[in-house]
Amino acid sequence: MQPDLERQLIRKCKAGDARFYEPLVRAYEPAGLRLAVAMMGNNEDAEDALQEAFIKTFDTLHRFDLQKPFGPWFFQILRNQCRDLLRSRKAKFKVEALDEKLDHRPADRERGPERSHERSAAREMLWQGLERIGTEHREILVLKELEGFRYTEIAQILEIPEGTVASRLYHARHALRDALVEMNPEFPQ
Amino acid sequence: MPPVSSDDLMRYLDGEMAPEERAKVDAELAASTELRRELAIFRALKSDFQQLSFHPAQYRESVWDRVNQRVTRPIGWILLAMGATAWTSYGAYVLATAPTNPWEKLATGAIAIGILTLLASVIWERYREWQNDPYRDVHR
Repeated sequence: MQPDLERQLIRKCKAGDARFYEPLVRAYEPAGLRLAVAMMGNNEDAEDALQEAFIKTFDTLHRFDLQKPFGPWFFQILRNQCRDLLRSRKAKFKVEALDEKLDHRPADRERGPERSHERSAAREMLWQGLERIGTEHREILVLKELEGFRYTEIAQILEIPEGTVASRLYHARHALRDALVEMNPEFPQ
Repeated sequence: MPPVSSDDLMRYLDGEMAPEERAKVDAELAASTELRRELAIFRALKSDFQQLSFHPAQYRESVWDRVNQRVTRPIGWILLAMGATAWTSYGAYVLATAPTNPWEKLATGAIAIGILTLLASVIWERYREWQNDPYRDVHR
């Protein structure tokens, strides 16, 4: 979404007109759901977290600085919502319905069922690796690798100094690699 | 030149380095097999993540309807409460100033207060039940 249009919509929402919130919700929903699924591990909990995050975002829009980008601010609220939900329900990140969740890339199908199966197994192993590492490691990996945020944005979302993002990523990637090696000793060490 | 730190390696991998810094890391990589091996492992992990992309919006409904209900509902309640307060106040004023028999005023007032008390007690009871409802967060 264009930053100017986004600012105009937020200005209208700040004035109390909820109709202008719909384009924002629809624009941020797919990426928000990806982050939530990756943090919660299943669609149902992810949708609950996403819904609550959008409501909290609307309720706190009066505090939002229009000079700043909306995305990182929303993802910060969503990330906190996921963490709260995991804590309050004593829920555990649990990967469910992998086949439904994963997008089977056309290239895999073109290369035949064997290749597709290999890819699917690799993806499943990666999800299980994510399940084994802690929330802190998982969330930074998801923000970087699935959502493609820059370090400055990750720092804002996670509320940490920008200088520590690289170090956090290094430890997270190491933890994931260790988990993958544990599951599959053939994984490169 | 100092060795490449783990932070530098991450910044190099994620494209967060200035060109001159990248050139220095490139030089270190050319000289160190160990560093190249470590970078290759992290690159492989990064590449694996690219395969994880998925499009959840293709097989689910938008959360907008539920969000819309929740963000617009308070406005409805506020308007309802304001309207009810205005009408109740106006009714009380009309009743108090009307030139009717005091017994009629008392009886009408008692009915109005009785209805309001019952309504308030039902709302309070529902609120208490809702607070203790273990399924209140379950939407489906």
